[in-house]
Amino acid sequence: MSRLAVKGEESRLVTSFEELQCLKHIGSLSPLPHQTDTARRVLFEMSGRAILADEVGLGKTIEAGLILKEYLVRGLVSKVLILVPASLVLQWVRELNSKFGIPAIAQKKVYSWGNDIVVASMDTAKRDPHQEILLNEEYDMLIIDEAHKLKNKKTTNYQFIQKLRKKYCLLLTATPVQNDLSELFNLITLLKPGQLGRQGDFAANFVVDKRRPKNQDQLKDELAKVMIRNRRGEGPVKFTKRTVRNNLLQLSPDEQSLYDGVTSFVKDQYQASGGNLSSMLSLVTLQREVCSSRDAVFVTLVNLSKKLPEDSPLRDRIWELVHLIKAIKANTKAEKAIELIQNMNEKVIVFTEYRATQEYLLNYFRDYGLVSVPYRGGMNRGKKDWMMDLFRGKAQVMIATEAGGEGINLQFCHHMINFDLPWNPMRVEQRIGRVHRLGQSNDVKIHNLSTKGTIEEHILNLLHEKINMFEMVIGGLDVILERLEKKESIEKSLYKIMLESGTDEEIRHKLSSLGDSLHHIKEELEADSIPQQLREEEA
Amino acid sequence: MSLTPQEIHQHVLSYLEATECQIMEKSPHHLTVKLSPQADKMLTNRPYYWGFVERTGAPAETLSFNFVFDPPAYEELLQRQTTPDTRSGTAPPPGQDPVLSRYYGSAPLLPVLGPGRVQREDIIYGSRRLAQIWDASREEGRCLYLFEEPDAEARPKTRSAALDQWLGVCFKVEFSCDLKREELHFLAISLSRKTILSGFDKQLQDRKLSPRLPEYVHTRPAVLTLSEAASMLENHLIQQLSGLDYTWANQARIRLAEELAIIDSYYEDLLQEPDEEKKSAIQEQYQNRRSEMVWQYEPKITLSALTSGLFHLYSSGSGLS
Repeated sequence: MSRLAVKGEESRLVTSFEELQCLKHIGSLSPLPHQTDTARRVLFEMSGRAILADEVGLGKTIEAGLILKEYLVRGLVSKVLILVPASLVLQWVRELNSKFGIPAIAQKKVYSWGNDIVVASMDTAKRDPHQEILLNEEYDMLIIDEAHKLKNKKTTNYQFIQKLRKKYCLLLTATPVQNDLSELFNLITLLKPGQLGRQGDFAANFVVDKRRPKNQDQLKDELAKVMIRNRRGEGPVKFTKRTVRNNLLQLSPDEQSLYDGVTSFVKDQYQASGGNLSSMLSLVTLQREVCSSRDAVFVTLVNLSKKLPEDSPLRDRIWELVHLIKAIKANTKAEKAIELIQNMNEKVIVFTEYRATQEYLLNYFRDYGLVSVPYRGGMNRGKKDWMMDLFRGKAQVMIATEAGGEGINLQFCHHMINFDLPWNPMRVEQRIGRVHRLGQSNDVKIHNLSTKGTIEEHILNLLHEKINMFEMVIGGLDVILERLEKKESIEKSLYKIMLESGTDEEIRHKLSSLGDSLHHIKEELEADSIPQQLREEEA
Repeated sequence: MSLTPQEIHQHVLSYLEATECQIMEKSPHHLTVKLSPQADKMLTNRPYYWGFVERTGAPAETLSFNFVFDPPAYEELLQRQTTPDTRSGTAPPPGQDPVLSRYYGSAPLLPVLGPGRVQREDIIYGSRRLAQIWDASREEGRCLYLFEEPDAEARPKTRSAALDQWLGVCFKVEFSCDLKREELHFLAISLSRKTILSGFDKQLQDRKLSPRLPEYVHTRPAVLTLSEAASMLENHLIQQLSGLDYTWANQARIRLAEELAIIDSYYEDLLQEPDEEKKSAIQEQYQNRRSEMVWQYEPKITLSALTSGLFHLYSSGSGLS
């Protein structure tokens, strides 16, 4: 027995200061070369205090897991605190458990802090009574995901982290510099105060104005000591291509008359309300819903009429529309979708914006003998997992209403159908990101369904042709939008355009100018190459 | 150092045999085993269950496991075993209940719960279970008391043979700063002659040891008490360690000094703060950062004894005298 113990101990022995041990301990996972390189650099060059600033989708979590595992194997770390956004807590726990065999637990009650490896949300951690417990503790390792939320020195988050006592520390963020170079300085101060000199020195030595650094080479050298940034496109990771097919469909006469009816209803209401935008949002939604399915628009109409007083003349108009709905027998888009799916004969995920459409499609597909599962934000964790498993197993189709937030990772599927489109480009990107991510080995095929002569056609036009959204490399989009939305959110501008324009021609014109301004920002960003270069060279 | 599936198999098997577990099925790739109460207590983390069993005297039901060491090979083996079944006419597809599926078309097998359930577990290098088995064996094999068995023919049985008492200790030495390295030292000291041997595990390798006192032997009287012997071993090891290369520690100290200098310069200005309240907050932060750095970089050497034992060996053995 003791001989066995010695043998076991012998094989676990860490014989060298400089060798990655963790790789032998994680059988099921084979990290990519850039991930192991990053882990090695953090461990042996940066002494375990670093900013991991890889671009989205390069596996920062994996890198952090590798580093953590290595320290655990070496016995240098036992008490660990991992702070992440609330929606990612369970995902982190599951990844650490399943991929790395690290016994992490999610913080649920106050006593959870007593465990060795705890994943918690920042917002919980900084509140009483948790804060006090954490500040009295000494952590061997602190990992913070989405660390760009700590860019502002004055926030309670920042001050809280500043007070935590830790030995090793990893900050994970995809966007270390969003607006201002001093954000970067603040992040590094959390990690290693003084690495970039004092606040005054930093401003004097490295900053010309907010976005433009000077003494680039020197700054780059200093940064390289604490930050690692791997970029898409360059180097080891090759992403597969995206191909986009737009299917422009002609509405059936019944559907078209409903659309026209709803459109005139919406326009009348808008004029009647005297251009009050906020109350009209639900009305444009009506228009969008018509393009999706009659079920969706029906639900909204009924809710609308319930809100109105008994004797309102509007009620009659609404009921007229409802009668139009009853006349519709078929859904052009659903027919097209089923045709697409049957031709593909592979796993496919269908995205829609509306619950009612989701229900309708579930029934519709079932009638055609297709096995499909739903996925929506309101489901609890367990049900979501179950749906994912079903989709991975026997179901051919998943119909989802929600893409963002907690990551659903669907690398095994490479077809997606946008049954209707969200108006926010970021949400489109999130949808695509579910499928087109690290580990996807096939080219991703995106099918957009849109209907001729409706608002949908305009939106698709804007997203597809003006910003070339579907084929663009991810990463740039958020910056573009952030700049555009300084004036007004893009969704709101779109609503405004839709409501205020009288004719199709006018809509087209306004959208094209919006598209141009997006395009302009994009070019501006590319020309504004100095911070860009900085980011590039950091890699 | 990593281990091959075969070696892991060997390790697990020797643990299971040492704890007298009942091995039900065995192939080069897997082991199906019903744990003994001893192993169950160590491995399954069911203190409440065992507390219940001990208090009520209920018959204990231990868990069964199917340990798989080479998952792909095992899967293949399973496939080969199931294929002949499916070919023989009406047999249901795998994963279906043979009786129910005849009536309901599709009836997935229900997982067997309770006694009789065999949990499958893949054991590869780095899995929790393996670490647990090592820890358990370390726990249970912490102290040893063993005698060398005589070679049956070589020794005449007319005269009692003398056995030397050796105190053997396996030390683990950890060198740590912001990085870490470890070494094992297996040392032994003869209680009657005060000689110290290193690499004692190699000496033990070829000898047959048993926990029972063999016939016709006697032990040489000890001149050292156990605690004297232990402290001699310790001193010996410390002396050995002091002769090692310590550039790593010096480098760590240099790194520490550099980091501290950076922190010092950063806070130098901030500490000029006139407002007393703010100043004390900054002072505290500064001290925290400094102590973190020391905690992280300060070189340390830790010594711990993994296992130890009293070994009674023939002195005539090679290299021992």
